[in-house]
Amino acid sequence: MKASKVVIVRGRGVLSPRREVDQKKLLQMYEQGFRVLTGQPDLGEGFRSLFQDRDRIGIKINTIAGRELTSLPEVTLGLANLLAGRGSLNKNIIIWDRTNRELKGSGYSLDSRQGIKIFGTDTEGVGYNPTLVSHLNIGSRFSSIQAQHITASISFAILKDHGLAGVTAGMKNYFGAIHNPNKYHDFNCNPFVAELFDTNHIKDKHKLSILDCLVVQYHRGPSFHSRWAEYYNGLLFSFDPVAADIIGWQIIEKLRAKQGLPSLKEENREPEYLFTAAKMGLGIAEVEKIQTIEEEV
Amino acid sequence: MNRRQFFKTTGGVTLLSCSGMTSLLMDLYAFGGKANLSQVEARYYKKLPEREIECLLCPRFCKLGDKERGYCGVRENIGGKYYTLVYGKVCTINIDPIEKKPFFHFLPRTNALSIATAGCNVNCKFCQNWEISQVRPEQVEHKDFPPSMVVETAQRYACPSIAYTYTEPVIFFEYMYDTSKEAHKKQVRNTVVTGGHINPEPLQDLVKVVDAIKIDLKAFSEQFYADYVRGELQPVLEAIKIVAKSGIWLEIVYLVIPSLNDDVREIRRMCQWLLEEIGPEVPVHFSRFHPMYLVKNLPPTPVSTLERAHRVAQEEGLHYVYIGNVPGHKAESTFCPKCKRVVIKRVGYHIQNVELEGGKCRFCNHPIPGIWS
Repeated sequence: MKASKVVIVRGRGVLSPRREVDQKKLLQMYEQGFRVLTGQPDLGEGFRSLFQDRDRIGIKINTIAGRELTSLPEVTLGLANLLAGRGSLNKNIIIWDRTNRELKGSGYSLDSRQGIKIFGTDTEGVGYNPTLVSHLNIGSRFSSIQAQHITASISFAILKDHGLAGVTAGMKNYFGAIHNPNKYHDFNCNPFVAELFDTNHIKDKHKLSILDCLVVQYHRGPSFHSRWAEYYNGLLFSFDPVAADIIGWQIIEKLRAKQGLPSLKEENREPEYLFTAAKMGLGIAEVEKIQTIEEEV
Repeated sequence: MNRRQFFKTTGGVTLLSCSGMTSLLMDLYAFGGKANLSQVEARYYKKLPEREIECLLCPRFCKLGDKERGYCGVRENIGGKYYTLVYGKVCTINIDPIEKKPFFHFLPRTNALSIATAGCNVNCKFCQNWEISQVRPEQVEHKDFPPSMVVETAQRYACPSIAYTYTEPVIFFEYMYDTSKEAHKKQVRNTVVTGGHINPEPLQDLVKVVDAIKIDLKAFSEQFYADYVRGELQPVLEAIKIVAKSGIWLEIVYLVIPSLNDDVREIRRMCQWLLEEIGPEVPVHFSRFHPMYLVKNLPPTPVSTLERAHRVAQEEGLHYVYIGNVPGHKAESTFCPKCKRVVIKRVGYHIQNVELEGGKCRFCNHPIPGIWS
């Protein structure tokens, strides 16, 4: 695992109050994020350090909350186009989630004849892999997209407060890669989030966490509540899935404190699964050991 | 589903024994796909601020935000209202001998129209039907089968009862309840095969419209329930007491799993509890485990283990103790507790002989509890 560096790039005004995306600024945010994260001034070199030429890259998004609290298509397509323009062929990039209904409901067009593929696990002929994966406390069937279609994965998660898990971000995003996520919400999702990530289908393919912090739901998540949604205008990048979510959690705590809300610990819903993940060797959870770099474009 | 898959799923022997039904059931199996879910408002929930809800159906008390589903995977909060997604959406339909449920003291030698929807409110690591119970409804083929059609179908195929079974009927409560009421209007009876993980209020309502409940008591230890069921024992014990008190017919199944719940002291405690709380006449079935789902590292239960459990239950004073999933075993049959003669001779699901008259032993006139006609 590479160094636990977390890069937060803020782009004031990248999202208008009507949620229109400033594409130019968004591109600058991606470019800056990747340059700082990879340490490569040349984006192509940076991507080559992450992906093989023949990789089929999955960008796993989270559309469960609907249009108001899902990564905008322009934002995820912005990333996909950037990757495509630097070596990965269009046909080797898939933006995906559980269902086409949720994708369409969040504004995604499933017509991918032009290049980048967008589809849900419930697409005819895709579905869940028939093999039941049994690992620690996990017993699940994986989306064929995660198990078969892709060879490299980006967890592109929207950063949210979560009533049960505490925080839902890059690691918990993979709940959408299995057929039975409803079975793993007991005990604040601990140890399930960590143990799911530890399966071969995920751990071996995960390359990068990107947290969409353009709008952060810092309270009463994972549903959308405008009253507790902050236009944070940020994107967070890390190779370390645990460190990414730890820093994401800090963002949520700061926003909560600003509004006078109790901490997640005070509400007995700290994302303990992140510490479990760290103990399992999946990443770094100690804030002092995470190099957090904040950039502004 | 093709013919081969159909027989594999339903158990060809069972269906072939019901001559004339096979082709008709094939018609029933024109399943309608996966996408078409119901949106019927659920019962037993409480609205909370900010479009959140709390489900009151089972002891999990799931608290859900907008667009979230409960642990069962079949009940969803949509905009602050709670809906069942599986009302009338069956994923399995079969005609089974009632002995398969198993009910041994309820209308023997009859068939039950048996239905299920996807979903379950626990996650037993040894589930025999996990491919339909541990999934969301959109992940399996299902068919529109409204309550009136269920009852009509039961009548058409001469089934005196409907069995809500295979997965966990508690999670399709509204559908089961309405179908049961409809069935009673047409003199069709209702049986429920459940893990008993349900809250008292809905259960009190359910026992008013069904005729028999079989509860899977999966162990007699909270630790086992936490580790292997993802549930709790105490609510199940409460459910058993409620059903027994209601006066409807009750049978208990205990799946004996080697090294996990086969400790003779635990089984003895369970029998003592049943004797004290329910009485000696509740039938108890000790069933044989086969490796399945997430417990594939254990062998099938040795018959000697089942016989030991059977012996313990009899020592404790239970009158009707059975061994299940061991076809041909003598403990499949019902013995009169007074004269010790066989009053119902069973081999597998087949009944060879019934020696009852008016619910009494034909040899000594001792009453045998059950619903016999």
